[in-house]
Amino acid sequence: MVRVGFLSLAHMHAYSYGHALKQLPNVELVGVFDPDQERGQEGAERMNTKYFPEASRLLTQVDAVIICSENSRHREFTELAASHGVHILCEKPIATTIEDAKAMIDACEKANVKLQIAFPVRFNTPVMRVKEMLERGVIGEVLAIRGTNHGQMPGGWFVDPELSGGGAVMDHTVHVVDLIRWFLGKEFVSVYAEADNMLYDVSIDDCGMLSMEMEGGIFVTQDPSWSRPATYPTWGNVTLEIIGTEGVIDLDAFAQNFMVYNDQQRKISQKSFTEDMDLGLIKDFIEMIEEDREPSITGFDGLQAMAVALGAYESARIKKPVQLR
Amino acid sequence: MIRVGVVGYGTMGQVHSQAFQELNDVELVVVADPDPDRRAQAQRDFGVDVVSNIEELLRSSSVDLVDICVPTYLHETVLAQAIVGNKHIFIEKPLARNLEEGQRILELAKDYDKKIGVGHVVRFTPAYTGIRESVLQGEIGQAAVARTFRGGSQFPQGWHDWYADFDLSGGVILDLIIHDIDYLRWLFGDVERVYAKTTHGRTTAHLEWAMIVLRFKNGVIAHVEGSWTNFAGDFYTTVEIAGKDGLIKYDSRETDPIVKTTLAEARAGGGVTVPENPAARSPYLLELEDMIGAIREDRAPLVTVEDALGTLKVALAAEKSARLGQVITL
Repeated sequence: MVRVGFLSLAHMHAYSYGHALKQLPNVELVGVFDPDQERGQEGAERMNTKYFPEASRLLTQVDAVIICSENSRHREFTELAASHGVHILCEKPIATTIEDAKAMIDACEKANVKLQIAFPVRFNTPVMRVKEMLERGVIGEVLAIRGTNHGQMPGGWFVDPELSGGGAVMDHTVHVVDLIRWFLGKEFVSVYAEADNMLYDVSIDDCGMLSMEMEGGIFVTQDPSWSRPATYPTWGNVTLEIIGTEGVIDLDAFAQNFMVYNDQQRKISQKSFTEDMDLGLIKDFIEMIEEDREPSITGFDGLQAMAVALGAYESARIKKPVQLR
Repeated sequence: MIRVGVVGYGTMGQVHSQAFQELNDVELVVVADPDPDRRAQAQRDFGVDVVSNIEELLRSSSVDLVDICVPTYLHETVLAQAIVGNKHIFIEKPLARNLEEGQRILELAKDYDKKIGVGHVVRFTPAYTGIRESVLQGEIGQAAVARTFRGGSQFPQGWHDWYADFDLSGGVILDLIIHDIDYLRWLFGDVERVYAKTTHGRTTAHLEWAMIVLRFKNGVIAHVEGSWTNFAGDFYTTVEIAGKDGLIKYDSRETDPIVKTTLAEARAGGGVTVPENPAARSPYLLELEDMIGAIREDRAPLVTVEDALGTLKVALAAEKSARLGQVITL
């Protein structure tokens, strides 16, 4: 039996992770701590579990925690969990600064607890299939990749730079960068980015465009914009066009869906029937603890993805490409 | 451990055999097929025992479940033998080629103390189960008009070209779009009347296009369309359901997450662009998992002989309607 708790429910992915925990045998969802008592109590009720007013009380009763706090608080919660000898699944991005990310990795190493970063798209079935195709060399050697991770404007703390560490570029660069690092086993070496606030009345970047280079001269572009309007029928997309010496693979990770038009709510929505990637992520995390193996997505993976996003902000500021190492 | 024997190692027999490999505490132990090449293939594929028919299978192996994947016109005979052997049975759709066979199967199934499940796999296909959930949750209000399409691909290849013999296969209505008839019955219940058209008899045997109008007892009006073609088109399916408050639309051609275009395909002279719609757990795996669950938990499988006979009656009514040019009331 693996006993699991949540530290903060600020990030809405917590509910999907909670749903996944309930579907797994040998897992007990012990409870929720949230510094925002109202959110914590409501969320605990929604997940049919207990609210803990003190984090330390929860941490003495669990083997692992899932941290779904605001990005800039990942470090304090990680260090707290590590000091209680509790394993950690931390929502992406790992942190908002290189210093924080490194401190988190160190704290977990010293406490001998496992730190996994939540990049659930690695567990999307079409994505896993593309990885396998690339490993088989179906399109030869990869030359270039065009990516998008569009989204709707999330609002809330996501548009508060103090808490999120950045807007669209921070939110939607790390998924695609992580997938590509995982696909190719290569690092990003430079990034050029345009980023601005042009779509919404918020004080943070809500659109942008990245052009990056990887080891071996592979170039990658990525559009992280919150460019899907509120009336868009789904949250956004993850697409990759992978250009190789012997072919091209077009991936639209969430294409498995149908449309529902509803007049009562004046709403059009796209309903997904893709297999649940969050369940895949959570199952992998639990199995890692049970089998006492290394995390499939490490703190270093989280650091490398975040470093590209931070480099993009630097590039947008100085209007020049930035070297990443 | 549930031990399985597959009868008939054609397309479906092969797909099912693969799915059994992925189920826990389930072992495919024997495959029966009259064709020596296919027997050799089954041996190569899964290292299982092979025999030439159901009698030999029952004599030589102790299995708990017999999975019947033989051509439709052989269903009743093989199923009757499996019942004599007192085995749990999974049988491919359609249940039978005609009503008499279907009714005799129902008689055999009555009071049988083992489980019988039927392979209406669309009920395990994620897009279709998702759409059904949306309808049942009232997302389009009271349903009124439904449309489905299934087909576009090349005429199926079968043992001795049995699909091309209408008397044996029942053509595109009985073999292919019976899937959608079953799905719509699962959603809307019993059918009141049927009016159908098919190109059968007007062109070569390797092209058939059928269009069926259904009126359900609950009032829903449906159009069910399907085709086998003599050109090598791409298989696709669509669903559209309009209700008092909204509309659901699905087109499998718009839901392929992966499209690859490769030099290797170009060199091979085939279609250069290849779409893919991967799932870690195929609908065939899910339907067989339900069958295994039915055995273990001593419950009915999702698709019973009664359900399948109800669906078969509608498909046969459509065939009759097309033949006579008349409306058939059920």
